[in-house]
Amino acid sequence: MGSKKSGISRRDFLKTGARIAMGGAAGLSLAGSSHGEAAGKSRVVMVRDKGVLDGQDRIRPAALGEMLDGAVAALMDERDAASAWKRIVSPGDVVGIKTNVWPYLPTPEPLNEILRERLIGAGVRQENVSADDRGVLANPVFRRSTALVNVRPMRTHHWAGLGSLIKNYIMFVPIPSNYHDNACERLGAIWNLSHVKGRTRLNVLVMITPLFHGTGPHHYSPGYVWPYYGLIVSKDPVAADATGARIIEAKRRAHFGEDRPISPNPRHIVVAGSRFGLGRSRPEEIEIIRLGWNEDSLI
Amino acid sequence: MKRSKVIFLLSVTAGCLFLVLSTESRAQELNGLAAAVPRQVAAFAAEGPDATYDRKTIYDYIDGAAEVYLAYDMRGCLSRRYVAPGESAIVLDLFDMGTSADAFGAFTHDREGETLDIGEDGLSREGWIRFWKGRFFVSIYAERETAGAREAAFRLARAVEAGIKEKGERPKILGRLPKGGLQKQSVRYLHSHILLESHVRLSDENILGLGPDTEAVLASYVREGKRARVLLVSYMDAAQAAAARKRFLSLRPAGDASKRGIASEEGKWWLSAQAGRILAVVLDAESGPLAEALLKEAETLP
Repeated sequence: MGSKKSGISRRDFLKTGARIAMGGAAGLSLAGSSHGEAAGKSRVVMVRDKGVLDGQDRIRPAALGEMLDGAVAALMDERDAASAWKRIVSPGDVVGIKTNVWPYLPTPEPLNEILRERLIGAGVRQENVSADDRGVLANPVFRRSTALVNVRPMRTHHWAGLGSLIKNYIMFVPIPSNYHDNACERLGAIWNLSHVKGRTRLNVLVMITPLFHGTGPHHYSPGYVWPYYGLIVSKDPVAADATGARIIEAKRRAHFGEDRPISPNPRHIVVAGSRFGLGRSRPEEIEIIRLGWNEDSLI
Repeated sequence: MKRSKVIFLLSVTAGCLFLVLSTESRAQELNGLAAAVPRQVAAFAAEGPDATYDRKTIYDYIDGAAEVYLAYDMRGCLSRRYVAPGESAIVLDLFDMGTSADAFGAFTHDREGETLDIGEDGLSREGWIRFWKGRFFVSIYAERETAGAREAAFRLARAVEAGIKEKGERPKILGRLPKGGLQKQSVRYLHSHILLESHVRLSDENILGLGPDTEAVLASYVREGKRARVLLVSYMDAAQAAAARKRFLSLRPAGDASKRGIASEEGKWWLSAQAGRILAVVLDAESGPLAEALLKEAETLP
C-alpha cells in the first residue's frame, strides 16, 4: 500500500516520467526546453484584426494583407513591409509557399495570393514562386527552391496533437507515415533533410479560425472552431507553434471549463527544438510582439 | 536454385496472393454492405461512386485519424457522400475493423454524446452518429446539422444497421473489470499508447509497452462519492507484464518507499499490481482503500 509520506504530486509524477522517457525534453504539454539558438529570444509577432472576417465569416483580403504586412515589418524591425520582404528574399530566390489543403480548414487562398504578391514585389520572378501542399516533391519550383515560406492554419490533430508549422513539412517526404511513430515526435527531422534544411525564411501560423478540438474520423466540427482573427508570424517555427499551442490549450480550458490538455501531447513541437535544433518552445525564450486587437487573446 | 530458396519464394508469393485476395475480399464485403444502403435518403442523394480505402490508401482520405483506425487494425473503409440542394453533405464511412473487439474499440475512442439505440452501442453528437455492430464501425457525419440532415442521417444509420447481419461480442478482457461503481460509458478498449494518451497521460513514451499484441481497457469508477480509474492490460506473457510494471514503477521519483503505489499531495492514489499476463493500474483514486479494493476485484491482488 502506498504511503502518505511520499508526498508526491501527480505533476511531479508526470514530470519524472517524462524526464526518464525523454531526457528532459518533454514534460507536460509545452514545458520542455529547446536549444535552437545559443542565446537570446525568438521573436514571434501576433497580429489580430476583427475586420479580417466579414459578416459571413469570409476573409477580407485587404485586411489580411495589412495584418501580414504589419507582422512582417515588426518581425524584421523595418518601418514598412516592402523593406522587410526584401530582407526575407532576394530577386534570385526560387520560393516554394508550403500551404495546407486540409478541406475543412485549408490555408486561405487569399493568403497564398498575398504571399505570392509580396514575394514578387520583393523582386522574385513570377515563374519562381509556387504554392503547393501534397505535390511539393514533384513541383518543379519546389524542386529547385532556394527559399520556403511555410503557411498553415493551426488545428488539433488525432495523432500528432496539433497540425502545426513543424508538421506542415511532412509532405516533403515520400512516405509521411514513416514519421507517425510516437505521436509524430520526429517530424523535426524532416526539416533537416537536404532538400529542406535552412531554406525556410518565414513561418505564418494562421489563427483566424483555429480548430481547438476534434471528433470523429474527419476530426472536424464547426462547433470547435472560433474566430481568433489572428496570424502568428516568426522565423522560428517552434516558437510560433508553441505560442499557437498555448492559445489552443487556453481555449480548451475556457470551453470545457476544466483542464483538457491537447491529446496526444504535441510533443513534436518541443522535440523539434530540443532534438533537431529548430527553435525555442519555452515561453520565457519567446518575445511576443502584439499588434492590433488584443481582447480575448488567451495568452 | 536450391530447394529452400524455391520454398521461400513460393511462400512469399502465396503470402502476397493471400494479402491481395484478402484486400479484395474486404472491399467486396464493404461494397456488399454499401449496396444494402439506399443511395437516396429523403432529399439526400449519393454523390458519385463509393470510394474504398485499404490500410495504405486510408491516409489519402482521412488526414490524421487514419492512424487511429489503423491502431485498431482497420482492414478497409468505404465512404459515400450524400448531397441535397441547400444542405451541406452527409458523409457515410463504413469501417471494417476485422474483429468485433476492434469495432468496439474504435467506437470507444470517443464516447461523448447521447446514447442511441442502434447497433451494439450507438452515440449521437453535433451532427455525428456512430455505432458498432459485428466487425463494423459506422460513422455518419453531417457537415452542418440541420433538421433535414439529422433525419436523413438517422435513416441512413438504420439502413446500415439492418444491412449488417452479424452480431458482435465485446472484448473478453472487459469481463475482468470490477463491477461495482463502473461507469459504463467510460470504458475504452485499445492497443496503442497514443490512444491511451487521449484519455490519460502517463508519459510521452510507451512505458506500458502497448502494441498490437496487447489489449488494454480503461474505465472510471465512482464508489461512495470517491472516484478512480482502472487500467487493465493483457500481455502475451507474464514476463512482458512484469517488465511493463517495472517501467511503470520506475516513474516514481527516487526515495519513494512505496512498492505498489504513489499517494499524491492532492490525495490521489496510483497503485499497480500484476497477476500472470495481466497488469492492473489504478489511477487517480480518491482513497487508498478504494484503490486496493479495485486491484483485488480485478484479481491482481490476493
